[in-house]
Amino acid sequence: MDVRGGSGVNRIAKRPVKTLFYVAAVLGIFLSTCSPANALPAFARKYGMPCSSCHEAWPKLSPFGQQFKDNGYQMGNDRDAPIFQQPAYWPVTFRITPIWHRESNDKTQVDGSNGVGGNEATVTTHGFDWSGLDFHTAGTLANNYSFYVLPSSDNTAAFHFESVWARIDNIGGSSWINVKLGKFELDNLLSEKRILTLTNVSGVYTNYHFQPVGEAYKFGIGDNQVGVEWMGHSKNDRTRISASLLSSSDGQPSVPNSRAYNGYFAASQAFEVGSLGLQRVGGFAYIGQAPTYFQFTNGGPTAGLPGTGIGNKGFQRYGLIGMWYVKKFDITTIFFHSHDSAYLGTNTPSGGPLNPTGALPTGAQAPTWNGGLFESHYNFNPQLILINRYELVRMSQQALSTNPGNLGNADVLTFGARYYPFISSRAGFAYHGEYAIIWQKGVSPVTATNQTTSSLLFGFDFAF
Amino acid sequence: MSKKHVVLAGAVMLAASAVALAGPAGGTVSGKVTYEGTPAKMKPIDMSKEPSCQKMYTTPPTVETVVTGSGNSLQDVVVYISAGAPDDAAPSTAAVFTQKGCRYIPHILAFQVNQEIKIVNEDQTSHNIHPLPKVNREWNKSQPPGTPPISEKYDKAEFIPVKCNVHPWMHGNFAVLKNSHYAITGDGGAFSLGNLPPGKYTVTAWQESYGDQSQEVTISGSETKTVNFVFKAKPY
Amino acid sequence: MRRLQITKIVLILAIGIAVPFAGFGQQMESHIGNLTGHSEAGRQLYYRYCWGCHGARGNGDGENAPYLNILPRNFVIGAFKCRSTPTGTLPLDSDLFSTLKRGINFTNMPNWSALTDQQRADLVAFIKTFSPRWKTEKPGDAIQVPAEPALSVASIKHGSELFQKLECWKCHGQEGRGDGPSASTLTDSNDQPIRPYNFTSDNRSKCGKTNQDLYKIFMTGLDGTPMPSFADVIKPEDAWDLVHFLRTLQYNNKSPELALWLSTKEGAEIVNAKKVQNTYTGSGVKP
Repeated sequence: MDVRGGSGVNRIAKRPVKTLFYVAAVLGIFLSTCSPANALPAFARKYGMPCSSCHEAWPKLSPFGQQFKDNGYQMGNDRDAPIFQQPAYWPVTFRITPIWHRESNDKTQVDGSNGVGGNEATVTTHGFDWSGLDFHTAGTLANNYSFYVLPSSDNTAAFHFESVWARIDNIGGSSWINVKLGKFELDNLLSEKRILTLTNVSGVYTNYHFQPVGEAYKFGIGDNQVGVEWMGHSKNDRTRISASLLSSSDGQPSVPNSRAYNGYFAASQAFEVGSLGLQRVGGFAYIGQAPTYFQFTNGGPTAGLPGTGIGNKGFQRYGLIGMWYVKKFDITTIFFHSHDSAYLGTNTPSGGPLNPTGALPTGAQAPTWNGGLFESHYNFNPQLILINRYELVRMSQQALSTNPGNLGNADVLTFGARYYPFISSRAGFAYHGEYAIIWQKGVSPVTATNQTTSSLLFGFDFAF
Repeated sequence: MSKKHVVLAGAVMLAASAVALAGPAGGTVSGKVTYEGTPAKMKPIDMSKEPSCQKMYTTPPTVETVVTGSGNSLQDVVVYISAGAPDDAAPSTAAVFTQKGCRYIPHILAFQVNQEIKIVNEDQTSHNIHPLPKVNREWNKSQPPGTPPISEKYDKAEFIPVKCNVHPWMHGNFAVLKNSHYAITGDGGAFSLGNLPPGKYTVTAWQESYGDQSQEVTISGSETKTVNFVFKAKPY
Repeated sequence: MRRLQITKIVLILAIGIAVPFAGFGQQMESHIGNLTGHSEAGRQLYYRYCWGCHGARGNGDGENAPYLNILPRNFVIGAFKCRSTPTGTLPLDSDLFSTLKRGINFTNMPNWSALTDQQRADLVAFIKTFSPRWKTEKPGDAIQVPAEPALSVASIKHGSELFQKLECWKCHGQEGRGDGPSASTLTDSNDQPIRPYNFTSDNRSKCGKTNQDLYKIFMTGLDGTPMPSFADVIKPEDAWDLVHFLRTLQYNNKSPELALWLSTKEGAEIVNAKKVQNTYTGSGVKP
């Protein structure tokens, strides 16, 4: 499983416990399924609107909800400041998901019957479980000062900060100037925090976290990043544009890596097509760089002093997105193009004591790959949504020329349905059912052959 | 002074109904509306925010939601035939509703569906006339001093509270009725509904605070039947 | 037996989905420019976006209505604040359409500009199915708004006289702060306390922010609120003078009217005398 963040657990996990979680994952004890998502009855309570106003199907936003978010969690009708709330109002929302799930992996590394390691077997597990807890607090501090703080736990109640930011909205009375500072989700039109699927396979978008086989530096465009964002939008939110300057830490606290900065740019335009609905097209680009070795170490050549990473090498993620509506049916299409430096792809220091000449291994080349995403929904009514997603990733250049050309190629297919038995302005509840399967080329742990992982999940997803 | 005015207005109303009812002789339902118990004391109105009206009164007038008279009689009760009589065409004369001294005269204006009403401002201040119907359409018009009367009609039967938002104490009622057989009790609580052809009728008395009561009555020939209503007073 | 039970469950689920979407009233259309809205399409949107406040039956008793201090419109009554038609008459489709697009400031009604024009037209059509009035009555004839005459100091001064003569200040206050002698007693047609518009707070009124919007507000009145219609008592040319004067009350809003008024000695004195200075509370709520 070289798909980074292939499970919700991995993404939440902090580095020191990552290995542990890998072991857990291999054992088939897939723990968390719920990716932290923004569905805030706190807002519904504040404005007295049903979930369905802002969410086509929570947590997925409707255009109205997107406008509300882009406007700094404000309606703009002079009732946004917290002073209009009862003093006891506290903008807080919890979300958690009790489930039953079944996980199956056809090439799990196991010991053989004679106790000898290095075998592969199909391992299937199932049982009752629950997700981590999201503790959303968000809203306005005053008119045009919005905030969002999200402590999020895994299902052992180990908390981390998923989001921590404040935003100054509508600076100078212009909807084109909004500045956000902190840890936040990138301005992705297809928000991973609002993903409608929850399984270990499809709780995140594969394309948002894919990295070539062999690469150790971890980055996902779906991960919340730390930095500052300027965002502008037309009043009716048809035009959206943003640019962010981010620390090259993939959202980790305490600047663990380097002093490098990354940039993210996104723009989109929506247009009305008669009775079909609102269509949107856009593009995004993440221009990043990451250190390949540490300037200072303390305790040996691999014990880098946090924040002193140097020898930055570049990586890029580009995408084109379209969100197409035909009345109750909609499909989101994304084309991804990604490119990493050969140093990152092969985990090679570009200098320093371990590799003073900065030489690359034989056959090293910059890994390059393309991806596609097709996510369609049929929204019968605000209470019922059917979900289908197909994602594919195709390597066009491996990190090592000796690798098979298709190594790591992935295909992910997901079917899901969510039924909301009631829609209110106080809480959200969904019956969730989902099946997801990923086929990946040549990544099995022992034989390096194709691997198939599937996940089946039923549960209650609720927020209050 | 104010009391007299109301009584006078009531008398005028009765006279008007009587005129309207002149025609082929028929039966009559007459009677008296009284209360039992202790009605709430009507509070004096503080008009200090509108000096031009305040100076018209030596002693402050009281609110008029329950107006009582001698012998436990109830005034300003609309008595009408709610069932049994056919709908009547609206008379051509307009019913007049006057704003004077920051009060409505009469306090209850009864008129028929589609009958013209004229609303007059005799005060030296702006009023807004804001009837609050539930089934008819709601409108709200400003009427500064010296402007011509407002002419309106209602096309559905309904009891409609009327208020002036500028002068919150101003409170009146429109009684929009389907036929011409109605009366508003004056001092003494007496009423008389005449010109009723033989038949079975439902007589209803409506008081704005106490609600309504109905009684069945059968008229044959030109007899006069007596129907009395007794409302239970609310002490608040 | 078991099969039956499953059928029962499915049936209950189906009813659970269907009931909120059951029909009230008949099919309606709305016409805004060359857009045609259909109530059937609007129904789906209504039960997604609107019912939380306006209620499943459109009578303004949504589950949140008790928590709102200005109650949601009761579509069954069919009285609307923002119209271009005389008081007491039904609004034009385009009036409802623009209210949806604009929202109603100072209330919980947000703007729905994120929806498409077609969706708003559909919603207008559906809202009209709630009241029988739309079947028996036609919308009123739109109030004619004559072309705005040239702005002048004389116009502003005459508007100021009208503000006195028509006693606008009884509710809106002499300085337009919404603090006139009657202000504290005002209630709307739902018997809820309601505040008169504070001109110094914002350049947006409930029904829009253009001069034309202001003109229409006092000529049509805001039905359901204490704001009456002045159509019978203000001549059109006088009405524009009043609009010009009202703009000078919005001293936080840079308007040509305010600029002209400030350029006169008299106007500058009046405006500056009432400005609240040095309130560095940073509350964002303008005095």
